[in-house]
Amino acid sequence: MTDRSTGLARVGEIYSNRSQRARELKAQGKKIIGYPCVYVPLEMLTALGLVPYQTCGDMKEPVTEADRALPGSFCPVMRSCLDCALKNKNNFLDGMVTIHSCDPQEKTCRVWESYTNYPYFHFIDMPISVRPEALEYFRNQLGDLKKTLEAFTGKKLSVDALEAAIKSHNRQRTLVKELYELTKPSPPRISGTEMVQVLKALVSLPVEEGNDLLTECISEVKNRTAGPQKKAARLLIWSSTLDDTDVVQVLEDKANVVMNESCGGIRAYRAAVKFTSDPLKSLADYYLNEITCARTFRQATLGETKKDYARDLQSRFGYLKGVVKQWNINGAILLLVRYCDPFAFEMPSLRDYFESLGVPSTYIEYNYTVGALAPLRTRVEAFLETIG
Amino acid sequence: MRQSVSGNPPAGALYFAGIDIGSTMTKVVLTDEHSNLLAVVKGPTGPEHRRLANEVMRQALEHAGLSIGDISYIVATGYGRLNVPFADRQITELSCHARGVSSLFPKVRTAIDIGGQDAKCMRIANGRLVDFVMNDRCAAGTGRFLEVTAATLGIKLEDMGAMSLRATRRIKISSMCTIFAQQEVVALLSQGEQPENVLAGLHDALASRVAALARRLGIEPDVVLTGGVAKNIGMVKAMRQSLGVEVLVPEEPLITGALGAAILAKEAYARAAAAGETLPAKSRRLEEATFFSQEQP
Repeated sequence: MTDRSTGLARVGEIYSNRSQRARELKAQGKKIIGYPCVYVPLEMLTALGLVPYQTCGDMKEPVTEADRALPGSFCPVMRSCLDCALKNKNNFLDGMVTIHSCDPQEKTCRVWESYTNYPYFHFIDMPISVRPEALEYFRNQLGDLKKTLEAFTGKKLSVDALEAAIKSHNRQRTLVKELYELTKPSPPRISGTEMVQVLKALVSLPVEEGNDLLTECISEVKNRTAGPQKKAARLLIWSSTLDDTDVVQVLEDKANVVMNESCGGIRAYRAAVKFTSDPLKSLADYYLNEITCARTFRQATLGETKKDYARDLQSRFGYLKGVVKQWNINGAILLLVRYCDPFAFEMPSLRDYFESLGVPSTYIEYNYTVGALAPLRTRVEAFLETIG
Repeated sequence: MRQSVSGNPPAGALYFAGIDIGSTMTKVVLTDEHSNLLAVVKGPTGPEHRRLANEVMRQALEHAGLSIGDISYIVATGYGRLNVPFADRQITELSCHARGVSSLFPKVRTAIDIGGQDAKCMRIANGRLVDFVMNDRCAAGTGRFLEVTAATLGIKLEDMGAMSLRATRRIKISSMCTIFAQQEVVALLSQGEQPENVLAGLHDALASRVAALARRLGIEPDVVLTGGVAKNIGMVKAMRQSLGVEVLVPEEPLITGALGAAILAKEAYARAAAAGETLPAKSRRLEEATFFSQEQP
């Protein structure tokens, strides 16, 4: 590790060979645990000395093996994730923690479990609402995760170790936000494409290594003279998963992507876990309430007799208001990976919300394949022409 | 408006070009500084965009009696727009169609273009594109849907519309997938249904699909239909029924993208000139732009 590259160069290496570090750690006797989605409480894995590794899809790999199990008109991200697993690209994994973040993921994870043979496999039944009863239920689900993780590792998950892990992961969230501060200037100091690479490197590394890498990147970006050029618009992208540089490059060809509101972007890092006397409850609160994925039901007026659309929009999308202002956003692209129903159904309301903020927006659906990005380019350029 | 230019162009005259490389057809429009049409050329796009872009441009220049160096500004559009080495600027077909249609129909608010591989609905205000939706998820809702059907039935594409108007009853085609719809067509024909009636059903199915897309934007008159499908009288009628409003069709519905590109070229040129920016060099050489050449002349 002494002669390794640093900062963005290291990020580029990890991005093009994601599993390399996990394989090295595996060879050193570490146990690597895969997870498909940012809702899995990584702190619990870290605290037990396990290495979390996000099992992402691969847009450049045509789906073939997953066709055995999943229909074509099904979430292409989950199809791709499963396809990679069935092609043994994750053969270094010792286990998986999966979660009911959406139905395609829940169904896919069951197929995944039955087609693979990892020593450990756990499924978290995550509620879809932010109501207090749901929080209690989710906390108990994390209790079940603790139980199976302890049985798998033969170790007790102590409060001290868990709190230390929460501190490390909170530090990562702070550092990511610090890096995102550097997209605030015009031109941004770091491009949306580079940002995607950094964030994808983080989900491929143990948390402390990720934190060191982030520290290097922040210092490098702050001190470098070369950086992105100023372009015609400052875009916010809202999507389920946006973690491939080929897609971001299409978006960034004629604009600066300064905010990536997706699970490949800032979504998992915006808030921080708040410490309480019960760390599992702290984690449940963070993952259920603070991560703003479309899969969670947040209607403000539930159970009330009077409907209030503006208040409802605020409860669902209010976190974007400050972003639009602070990052000086002048266009929003609502990017839907085909067949993603939870995100598709949010689009009309989100466009209303952006309109209320005075931000022009467009809704673009695309196929999760890099071979089919030409229609995306046309739509993005046409949108930029309408706001230019 | 078409006029022929012979001999050398008058000194100081300005000429503009729009080239629209669609999935099926490549279109070129040459105009003078008053946006009078000097040449309109269409050709099948084929597999080699660059070579064809040169060829249609060469034909258009020949028709107008101009050389490539006489053109002040060239805008390329359509999905092959990146493959036009001699263009000064690329602008999406959405903005170009909106501009072209509104130059022909100043009161247009909604433009619908049904091409070979996609359908576009555009909201227009003050002659400009303000919002849009596109369908290209599959062949359903595009010109390809009719092409495939014509091949299945063994009839000419250009005869389909008129044939559909001779229907004695309108069949409902329930499948929107092009392949499944073809299966439905074959099944209907094998049950002895008249081809005219089946065609009427297919036109209705395509029109209702495009109308649903347009409703996502909201349909405000005047509505203008363009693209190759607008040449099909059966489709125009079916669109009128599906949308419930009058649908206007330009005399030449294939060229609105290229026309808009030529108008936007003129406007870009005027803006650049007014701002004192460097104008495109007139020394561009058409011949050197080959299919394999990566360099910009």
